[in-house]
Amino acid sequence: MTVRPLKTADPALAAPAPPVRRQRGPLWLGWRRFLANRAAVAGGAVLSVILAMAILAPLITPAGPNAQAFLADALAFPSAAHWFGVDDLGRDFFTRIVYGARVSLTIGFAAAAFSVLIGIPLGAAAGYFGGSIDWVIMRLIEIFSVIPPLLAAMLLGALVGGGFWMIVFIAALFGWVQVCLLVRAQIKAFKEKEFVRAAQALGAGPVYIIFRHLIPNSVSPIIVGFVLAIPLAMMLEASLSFLGVGVPPPTPSWGQMINTGMNFMYFYWHLAVFPTVALAVTVLATSLFGDGLRDALDPTMGGR
Amino acid sequence: MIGYILRRLVSVAVTFFIVSVLIFSMMHAIPGGPFDAGDMPVPEEVRQKLLAQYGLDEPLYVQYLKYMWGVLRLDFGVPFQSPGETVLELLGRAWVPSLVLGGLGVLIGAPLGMLLGMAAALKRNSWIDYLASAVATLGLTIPVFVTSMLLILTFSVWLGWLPSSGWGAPERWILPIVAYATIPMATYARYTRSAMLDTLNKPFVTVLRAKGLPERQIVFKHVLRNSAIPLVTVFLPMFIGTATGSIFVEAMFRVPGLGSFFVSSIRTRDYPLEMALMLMLTLMFCLAYLLSDILYAWLNPRIRHGGGRE
Repeated sequence: MTVRPLKTADPALAAPAPPVRRQRGPLWLGWRRFLANRAAVAGGAVLSVILAMAILAPLITPAGPNAQAFLADALAFPSAAHWFGVDDLGRDFFTRIVYGARVSLTIGFAAAAFSVLIGIPLGAAAGYFGGSIDWVIMRLIEIFSVIPPLLAAMLLGALVGGGFWMIVFIAALFGWVQVCLLVRAQIKAFKEKEFVRAAQALGAGPVYIIFRHLIPNSVSPIIVGFVLAIPLAMMLEASLSFLGVGVPPPTPSWGQMINTGMNFMYFYWHLAVFPTVALAVTVLATSLFGDGLRDALDPTMGGR
Repeated sequence: MIGYILRRLVSVAVTFFIVSVLIFSMMHAIPGGPFDAGDMPVPEEVRQKLLAQYGLDEPLYVQYLKYMWGVLRLDFGVPFQSPGETVLELLGRAWVPSLVLGGLGVLIGAPLGMLLGMAAALKRNSWIDYLASAVATLGLTIPVFVTSMLLILTFSVWLGWLPSSGWGAPERWILPIVAYATIPMATYARYTRSAMLDTLNKPFVTVLRAKGLPERQIVFKHVLRNSAIPLVTVFLPMFIGTATGSIFVEAMFRVPGLGSFFVSSIRTRDYPLEMALMLMLTLMFCLAYLLSDILYAWLNPRIRHGGGRE
């Protein structure tokens, strides 16, 4: 029995050449997954609007954040001239809220950056070397997980009297743990792979392998750790400022404004409502964005 | 199992020791003691005498050892802010509101969260699933004092249904309890949902279905039990979150509990009270940690027989 050739000789019957399939990289797939997550996209959009407002603050506000330009209208309710009203010291409240976003976001991003700077080397060392180094770092993390961050932050805040950079420092002190764990897990998973083995066989030292091969392969968990550290730092700042050991006045901070607003809430509701809503919306948007990014960049990490 | 518990016990004890040294030295590094010239303008000799009376003139490690020896006999000293009683008496008084409100919050919040998470896992992508996700996300991301503020603004200021602050009459308890309940509810809603979903996707559930077991029996007899482990491990973060949240809940609702004494002790640099509160909280967290580890090991035979927490 003769076997028919699979390809017909007749050129007219041959199927047209298949279109060249574009190779889709993991980042593109991640981007598609991110776009499919409506909550994350909404969070990202709201966060960009808040970021834009914070950056453009001087252009969209009528006066400086600390200018008592409207003393005659002190405690005025929201109106066309003052969208969010005027606070007890005659400052335009919309201005204060927008500049509060600046403070909150700066602290969030700076603290996240420092968390990543501390977390990467420690996580990499723990994951790559294992053994006693891993043990020491894991015990360190255990101590940090037993100390409640807010309580320690309050003590440290009292110790050095609060202040902008102090809060960044405290937030980073407690924020690195998550980045460290994420990086450690990723590097542990990668260090047995062939390309790392090959590099070792070629005589590459551990530092070279970590920086040249392992950390570039840990970019997704690092990005995720960075974005998820932002809302935590913002929450810490707001909580400390609310208790009066955070950013000192007159720097506008939402936590501080909520504390002040509490004293006025029965008579001048706007002083309590706007900072509360601003803080809630910003933290929520950032968290949703971060969660979405995590699910998109590494679907195996799961939504928990 | 006993060896495992002993190992965990030693580890927890070491952690507690390190944390207590850290807290003690941090506390004493705070610039400005209670008898500084600025706060208390008294002649130098009187100041020295006061320092000696409270033992503040000795080297730090002596102070630490003396202090811990006292703690072993439940002697935490006398709070600077109310010298008429001991720290222990003050704490005994402050415990009640925190325990009542916090306890009721957890007792109401955790089961509600579990029910919500279960319903969400069983009816995926239904309205109750979205509700569970919304509750979990809102409760875990928004700080407690913001939630409290929103509650006060809505129910006290706007609707005028409930009083916003105080302690005593039961209607004053409602809002703080709701604020307290948000964290356990959100935590358990999220983790119950994901634990149940994990289990529901396991092959043995398919086998049970293929066997023809009624869905109700599958869920209650098999899935629930196998989903219990993550719910035990999440107890610790939930507990820490609730305990820390109590500071803000009590500050917002002006409840005279542990949280508000913590804030006032920091503001007035009341070392004995601050130290006692921090030690107590750390001990509580250490014990919760230990308890969740032991429960985890007890529920999970793979850990019970050798090997540690992964």
